[in-house]
Amino acid sequence: MAEATIEQTQSSPRAGIAEQPLMQVKNLAVSFDNGSGPRIQAVDGVRMTVYPRQTLAVVGESGCGKSVTSMSSMQLVPRPPGRFDRGEILYRKENDEVVNLLELSESEMRKIRGNEIAMIFQEPMTSLNPVYTVGDQIIEAITLHQNVNSKEAMKIAIDAMDAVGIPDPQGRIKAYPHQFSGGMRQRVMIAMALACQPRLLLADEPTTALDVTIQAQILELLKTLKEKRNMAVMLITHDLGVVAENADIVCVMYAGRVVEFANVYDLYANPMHPYTRGLLASIPTVHSKLHRLTTITEVVDDPEQFKKLPGADQGITPWWPWNDAPADLCARDEPAGDYVLRKVAKDHWVGVWRTEAVKNDDTSPPDLSFRISDLPKD
Amino acid sequence: MALSGQSKERSRDNSGSEPESISAIRAPSRQRDNPLTRSVAGMLGMGVLIVMFIACLGSLPWTLSSASDKNNQTIGVPRYDAGSPKSGRLPPFWWSYDEQDIKRSTGAIEPTELETIALEQGVSVDDLLSTTSGPLLDEVQPRWPTFWFGSDMLGRSLGTRLLAGGGISLTIGLAAALISVGIGTIYGALAAYIGGKVDSFMMRVVDVLYGLPYILLVVLLAVASNAMVDEWVTHNKAKERWIQKQVVESHSQSMDGEFTRSDARELLAADIELHGQWMDQAVLKYPRRELSAGTRTSLDVLTLLIAIGGVSWLTMARVIRGQVLSLKNQQFVEAARAIGSSPTRIFVRHLLPNLIGPIVVYATLAVPQAILQESFLSFLGIGVKPPLPSWGNLAAEGLGELNTYRSHWWLLFFPCLLLGITLLAMNFVGEGLREAFDPKRQR
Repeated sequence: MAEATIEQTQSSPRAGIAEQPLMQVKNLAVSFDNGSGPRIQAVDGVRMTVYPRQTLAVVGESGCGKSVTSMSSMQLVPRPPGRFDRGEILYRKENDEVVNLLELSESEMRKIRGNEIAMIFQEPMTSLNPVYTVGDQIIEAITLHQNVNSKEAMKIAIDAMDAVGIPDPQGRIKAYPHQFSGGMRQRVMIAMALACQPRLLLADEPTTALDVTIQAQILELLKTLKEKRNMAVMLITHDLGVVAENADIVCVMYAGRVVEFANVYDLYANPMHPYTRGLLASIPTVHSKLHRLTTITEVVDDPEQFKKLPGADQGITPWWPWNDAPADLCARDEPAGDYVLRKVAKDHWVGVWRTEAVKNDDTSPPDLSFRISDLPKD
Repeated sequence: MALSGQSKERSRDNSGSEPESISAIRAPSRQRDNPLTRSVAGMLGMGVLIVMFIACLGSLPWTLSSASDKNNQTIGVPRYDAGSPKSGRLPPFWWSYDEQDIKRSTGAIEPTELETIALEQGVSVDDLLSTTSGPLLDEVQPRWPTFWFGSDMLGRSLGTRLLAGGGISLTIGLAAALISVGIGTIYGALAAYIGGKVDSFMMRVVDVLYGLPYILLVVLLAVASNAMVDEWVTHNKAKERWIQKQVVESHSQSMDGEFTRSDARELLAADIELHGQWMDQAVLKYPRRELSAGTRTSLDVLTLLIAIGGVSWLTMARVIRGQVLSLKNQQFVEAARAIGSSPTRIFVRHLLPNLIGPIVVYATLAVPQAILQESFLSFLGIGVKPPLPSWGNLAAEGLGELNTYRSHWWLLFFPCLLLGITLLAMNFVGEGLREAFDPKRQR
């Protein structure tokens, strides 16, 4: 662990002090046993960085490795069949000690889970134990990590329920999960996750199972709490509307690799990877009267789309697993060696083939401390 | 972007109406009807069971204690075993008696019969009267023993035996069900929770045990426990071992070569006199222990209970394994891990409480099953051994009394009736509990 360091980065524009990333995913590769077949590489060479108070949105279609990445950082990937092939997830603990989350023992990990890193799940309907009151479950999370007696824990639980906007927390604390609606249950989950004041919140599609009004409420709540508590959020979703509204940084993933990493304004204004362009093009807008929507396939099947990157004339081509590799591919002798996440513009990374032109690019994770909340208010 | 504009509008709209929409969600009142009391049949069954349990188990101290004779002297025989053959096979007192019964139980003799007997024996009627114990049927109002539920062939009160037998049957049923539920739950839950190869192995063990006829297992267990008790009482094996050791020691002092245990065994087998000499000492060293009949009986019952409990956990293990398999993939288990719970904690705090429904339901169904198995084994003569009654062996005795000439129906009817009522009541209770614990049936 001695050599594990998080790379120094730009200083925060507001505070003026050097700011340290909270978590850095370096070259993460996770694969799953497939019984008789070959191992399935769920995630390969994933790199990303999260700063405190930042919302990093991880976007991508089902099975692209979003959840595996977040589950890996809590060691919640079932092993076996799962396996961490290589890479590290460096996390800066509250006492400034940097640890590799993939190498921690189960007991060390238990101190991280819930306490330092908390998680909200996709299904509020099934994420709560039906035989305990919600109060019991929040209190369990508290007593696991904090040395408090039951009365204090109860008070913290009530405060947490109050903070997430559950009316009448004193009364509702004795209610069972089935007496709550979906949105309220998700609030309970958030209260549970926040009760121990975690510094990183992994929200794995927190609003997918909810209807849009509740969805907006929950996301607004997360946003407020993030600011109040200096917490970083890793928002896993496939809803680009949610991303535009909530994220500071967007990380687009495809087939287990990061294809684009940029701040939210750059990404929406100037998507550089054909896949991202396809994603954005496929969203209907209110004003468009289309017979049919543009599909992602239509975009990525067009070879012209792959020639728009800066430096395309030098042979820098976006990585795309279904395309043939360029002729001058200089694949390194390592997994995911045919690919590199290249900084193509300021604050903008795109996954490209490791061709002659980018042969010597390093594999350090993209690093962006940008936050919308830090921008000067106009 | 148009997109973000839309979502902004959306969230603004909602934040305005948020307080009303939330306060509309009220905590449901707790005065909802209790699901446990909803099933009428279940409540009825529960009532019957409670009465049955209080009657049978509560009366055990009385039925098992020593009976006393007319002069209030204890006679050293437990109440369930006390009776005189004279009053054997009497029907319940509310049933029509026949004269034969009355005569047999009172020893009364009819005048006409008296003459016949006097003639046969060649004495006068008066002489005969002075020697017979019984009163004359027409002159003395005979007082015959009255039995609520009749008496068996040895004149023991069937009522007392039913109570004692019920106590034993219910105890065995409850305890065996507890054992089976305990083993089955832990085993099945562990198998499913650990999963993988351990799960496969554990469940194959269950499959193999399923394949064996449980009567075989019960008989084996009974034989093994008998042998163990015998050894504890007599020390036969310990004596032999001690003798062999002494022989080896005495020979190894006098001889140079090796003298092993098997040599000693051969020598002792050939020289009976030597064996006898040593045996005299061995008997002194290992005195015979005493085991009261009561202890012996309870050991027998214990064996039976372990045997039944030990073979009936298999179904439970399978049921619980299935439950845990589906539970452990539920997201709340993942959520519990995500807040930092240890596997043990997840198992104890999050999985087991979710199993209470199936456990309770299975337990209520396992009790009648265990009673039935006990009855069946007692019926076959493997289980509770006479004179200790159980509903099973009472019914078995009663079956033998059923004949076309004179059927002592009560001996078969009452044990079967009680057994039937109990089993039915337990099934109703189990059914009611299953409904109460089934979340899909809620409200």
